[in-house]
Amino acid sequence: MTTDQQTPQGGVKHRYRHEGPQKHIVVFIFSIVLTLIAFAAVAAGGVNASFAVILLLVMAVLQVFVQMGYWMHLKDKGHMLPILFMIGGFFVAGTCIIMSLYWVWWD
Amino acid sequence: MTTAHAEAANGTLPHEPEKATLEGRNKVLAFWLFLGGEAVLFGTLFATFLALRNQTNEGPTANELFHLPLVAAATFILLVSSLTSVFAIQAMHRNRPAVLRNWLLITVVLGLGFLGLEIYEFSEYIRHEEFGMTTSAFSSAFYTLVGFHGAHVAFGIVWIGILIAQLSRKGLNVITAPKIYVSAMYWHFIDVVWVFIFTVVYLLGKVG
Repeated sequence: MTTDQQTPQGGVKHRYRHEGPQKHIVVFIFSIVLTLIAFAAVAAGGVNASFAVILLLVMAVLQVFVQMGYWMHLKDKGHMLPILFMIGGFFVAGTCIIMSLYWVWWD
Repeated sequence: MTTAHAEAANGTLPHEPEKATLEGRNKVLAFWLFLGGEAVLFGTLFATFLALRNQTNEGPTANELFHLPLVAAATFILLVSSLTSVFAIQAMHRNRPAVLRNWLLITVVLGLGFLGLEIYEFSEYIRHEEFGMTTSAFSSAFYTLVGFHGAHVAFGIVWIGILIAQLSRKGLNVITAPKIYVSAMYWHFIDVVWVFIFTVVYLLGKVG
């Protein structure tokens, strides 16, 4: 975050506003809550198995999105190539997983 | 570039020092490419695990084996360490090498705690549950996936430890900053992989 100011000498003075820790603590608390929901759903038992699978996967994907967006700065400007690299990596990983599940379950 | 070098020369650190030089920017970008490759690598291990998780060969099953409190403790430790490495980078951006070093040290100590729990967990399985590497297809897939993640944590501890030593020898500048930034990215990625491990391996193992 920069705000450039014209100095009397004609030069450009840079003034930086450093981000505080608040945003990251919010992400941390959000991650803790998602983790607690996932563990509680399993520890409590009695939750329908196929519902639990969907719930757990949604909690995991949400947490990963938030952490990669804020802690790894993927949501910031100028991250098109990193996002592309990660989409590429997750696409191949997902293809491998779907392929082997299909392979095992297809009978 | 020129302003970055001028600022480095007169003792001040540029804003976001990890991206102040072309070399620094290249390092960060190339590291993202590496993380894409890491995602593929862990993806193949997850694929193997998911395919073989029910092939227990009359050995222990996931439901009999796993204890959630231990997994929850390991998860909490790694999540906190990811937050402390965010604080380390924020201290770096404010040009406070001492604060940066302290947060990196806390991150390393938490990483050691996580690794200790994992070693304890594996040794319990081997000694008391007769669940070794060759017990079943499930055990092989489990140790390969979770052990590979643990090896990444161990590597990260050594790496960040060396960077702490280098930081106190050479100080914080546009050459050391990209190294520290990239190691923090690595540490976050290790935490992201763990989110999938505790979900897919441990929690789904309990659900069945």
